[in-house]
Amino acid sequence: MLRDHYVFSNGRLNRKHNTIYYTDDQQKQTPLPVEKIRNLHVFGEVDLNTKLLNYVSQFDICLHIYNYYGFYAGTYYPREKTSVSGFLIIKQAEHYSDRHRRVYLASRFLEGGVHHMLRNLRRHKVENEESMYLIQKEYNKSQEALDIQTLMGHEGVIRKHYYQAFAQMLKQDFSFERREKRPPRDPLNALFSFGNTLMYRTVLSEIYRTTLNPTISYLHEPSTKRFSLSLDIAEIFKPLVVDQVILSLINRKTITKKHFDVLDHEICFLNDEGKKRFIRAWEDRLETTVKHRQLKRNTSYRYLVRLECYKLIKHLLGDDVYKPLKAWW
Amino acid sequence: MFIIITYDVGEKRVGKVCKKLRKYLDWTQNSVFEGEITQGKLKQCLAELDRIVDYDVDSIYLYQVANPKNIKKIVYGHEKSDIDLFL
Repeated sequence: MLRDHYVFSNGRLNRKHNTIYYTDDQQKQTPLPVEKIRNLHVFGEVDLNTKLLNYVSQFDICLHIYNYYGFYAGTYYPREKTSVSGFLIIKQAEHYSDRHRRVYLASRFLEGGVHHMLRNLRRHKVENEESMYLIQKEYNKSQEALDIQTLMGHEGVIRKHYYQAFAQMLKQDFSFERREKRPPRDPLNALFSFGNTLMYRTVLSEIYRTTLNPTISYLHEPSTKRFSLSLDIAEIFKPLVVDQVILSLINRKTITKKHFDVLDHEICFLNDEGKKRFIRAWEDRLETTVKHRQLKRNTSYRYLVRLECYKLIKHLLGDDVYKPLKAWW
Repeated sequence: MFIIITYDVGEKRVGKVCKKLRKYLDWTQNSVFEGEITQGKLKQCLAELDRIVDYDVDSIYLYQVANPKNIKKIVYGHEKSDIDLFL
């Protein structure tokens, strides 16, 4: 029902007639119904003023800003209405400082991720039996880990096996040896980077709508400059959403090599057309619904992310034990 | 719920109704709006229109479609506004 808008052109966003108007560089005005917006994503160079920010806050709309290469730069999010809970922050921190409780949560996040990775590989069973075995073995080892470093080490190995197997599932000739970030050097790495960016900010917008504090995390080390809890929760959803979107885009040839630009023979990134295609597939995927067993109604993938936050809150408050989402469909 | 709203109101009130509806729905053509909306927001929207419109002379038609999958929209000629995620 609510939707996200993506601004790629350069222009101006302002409040007008009690709704939001976008004026592009050709002075063409587009009214956006304010009651229908969930998030605004700004990729282009856009002017805006505080009046707009004020108005956006009243409607709980997050404003995400991305830099020229499509990397996430930051978010303006409404403070006023989102409930804050000091009690929950203290609980969150308690679970962080207690080593056993932290390892429990961290390995649950990993458990969810691994489940979805294996689920992806199982669909191409013939080629991937070996990797599935290796991942399973590594995962079993990780369950005995007593501290985060060991757990992260196992996670790294699992990812390595997974990406190797992933390359075999592609029906287009994309050379892919290993995952490279900062910067991504080939098309597939660029796709992963862009997809993960979208995933992080989707999780972040859902966290903002709960009382969780996005800076206290368990699997990833909470540090300054980043919202690491969204990295934790994204761990479960990355193989489920990002990787499947990428697979279908490549295997259906929706995205081909011409949708990438290379900068200085080094940095590979999606061009505007590529981004648009990716985002369209992305939005479709997030709006896909499945019948939830406990809630007994259709829930979208996007809402499953929110449910994951609620489950975590329940765990932190001691109401319920946290179990990660495992796709049952 | 997917709805289509058409309105025929006195000249003085056309602009006001149009501006109000722009908050909630996508503009399709002159005096026509469409889009998905929740029950609650629709009520809110109609209540706001209530204050503008003079029901003795004006009329607002509301078409509801319970299942948005049942809509097939065909446009002949020039499409006045295409609703898109991208700007």
